[in-house]
Amino acid sequence: MNIQHNKILREKLSAAFVLGTLKGGARRRFVSLVKQSAILQAEVAEWEARLNPLAEFAGSAAPSPQVWQHIARRLSLDSTGQQSTKSSWLNLGGSLNFWRGLGVISTALATVLVVVLLTRQPETVAVMPSYMAMLVDDKAQPNIVIVGDAKRHSLTVKILASQTIAADKSLELWVIPKKGTPKSLGLLTKNGTTTFTLPANATPQNVAMLAVSLERLHGSPNPDGPTGPVLFTGAWQQI
Amino acid sequence: MDPTLSIDDSQQLKTWLVAVAKKDTQAFRSLYDATAPKLFGFLLRILIKRELAEEALQESFINIWNNALSYQPHLAAPMTWMTTIARNKAFDLLRKIDDVVEIDTDNFDKDVMNALESTAQTPGESLQLSQDAKALSRCFTQLEGMQKQAIVMAYYHDASHSEIAGQLHLPIGTVKTWIRRGLERLRICLNNSERA
Repeated sequence: MNIQHNKILREKLSAAFVLGTLKGGARRRFVSLVKQSAILQAEVAEWEARLNPLAEFAGSAAPSPQVWQHIARRLSLDSTGQQSTKSSWLNLGGSLNFWRGLGVISTALATVLVVVLLTRQPETVAVMPSYMAMLVDDKAQPNIVIVGDAKRHSLTVKILASQTIAADKSLELWVIPKKGTPKSLGLLTKNGTTTFTLPANATPQNVAMLAVSLERLHGSPNPDGPTGPVLFTGAWQQI
Repeated sequence: MDPTLSIDDSQQLKTWLVAVAKKDTQAFRSLYDATAPKLFGFLLRILIKRELAEEALQESFINIWNNALSYQPHLAAPMTWMTTIARNKAFDLLRKIDDVVEIDTDNFDKDVMNALESTAQTPGESLQLSQDAKALSRCFTQLEGMQKQAIVMAYYHDASHSEIAGQLHLPIGTVKTWIRRGLERLRICLNNSERA
C-alpha cells in the first residue's frame, strides 16, 4: 500500500502517530517514512498543531530556580544567561565573588607552591606551574584548583572545599576544548589531590575551560561528555 | 510568567527561537521565562513527581538549545514545537523509570477534562489559553464523554489502545474506532473554525 498516494491512510497514521497510539514496529516504520516525505512532515506538523494545545489544559506551574541553573551549567552559560567561554576572571571583574575567588586562588597557589617545592626532586629547579584553573560552583564559590605543569606534563587537581558525594557517585574531570567534544581526564579522588598526565594540546589556546561533573561510580558512560550534572567549571589560563 | 506576554504572542517566541539558533543566550533566557511555566505545568501533569518534571523540563530546554537550528517556522508554531519536545522528553523519562510513577488517571485526567470543558462553557474565564486551545476545547464538546477521555489518556499518558480499553472497561476494537472517529471529528471541526 503506497501511503504517499493514500490521503486517508496518511491522515490516519499521522494522527495516531501524534496522539501516540501508533506504537511499536508500525511507529518505527512511520518515523522512517516521515523522514523521507515532505507531505508526511506537513501532515504530522498539522496534527501537532491540532493536538498540542491539549497541553495547555494542564495549567501552569513554576519550576524551581534550580532548573534554569542546571540548564545554564550544562550549557556553560552563566547565571545571567551569558555563555561563559571568556575568561571567568574578566566576567567576574569587580564583583565580590571575584575578590573572594582571588583570595582563595592566592591561598591555593601558595599551597600548590608548597606542594611543588616539597615533592620536587632536589636536582630539578623549582618552576611555577604553567597553567591553572579555579573551578567554581553555580554560586561562584571556588571549590577546586587545577594546575598544569607543561614541563613535567602533569595536571594536579586539588579539592579545596570538602565534597559530600554519595558512595555510588564519582567526580569526573573534563577538558572542554574550544572546538570539538569534551574529553574526560578521569575520576577525582573525592577529597584531596589527584594528579593526571597533562594532555599535550591542553593549552589555553585550545581549551576553553575545565569542568567537573557528578557521575555514576565509574564515570560517565558517554566518552564525549558528562552524563550527570556539571558542578564546577573554570577557565583554563596561562600563568 | 510575564502577564503581558500571551502565549499567542507567537511572533515574539519565533524571534527568540531564531536567535537561540544563533546561540543568543539572552533570547534563550527570555524564551525560558516565557514558556517554562506552561511546559512545566504540562510535564507535572504527565510525570506527577516534581523532581521528574523538573528533569524533563531541563532536558527539554537543553534539546531546544541544541536543536533550535532545525526548528522550521513555516511548519510549526514555536509553542507547538516546544510542546512536542517536552512531551517526548517526558515519555522518554517515563519509559526509563517504568513502574515508579503511578498514574492516577482518575484524578489527574479529571482536572484536565474539567479544564477542557469549563473553557468551552465559560470562555471569558480562560484568558490565559491560546486561541488554538479555545478552539480545541470548543471542538471537544462535539465528542462523546468516553471519546474525550480516551484521547486525553493517550495524549497525556502515552497510553496504548489496550491500556485505554482496560481503564475504560471497553473492548479494544471499540476504543480504536472511537479514537479514530474522534480525531477525524476534531480535524473537521478545527479546519472549519480556522476558516470561520
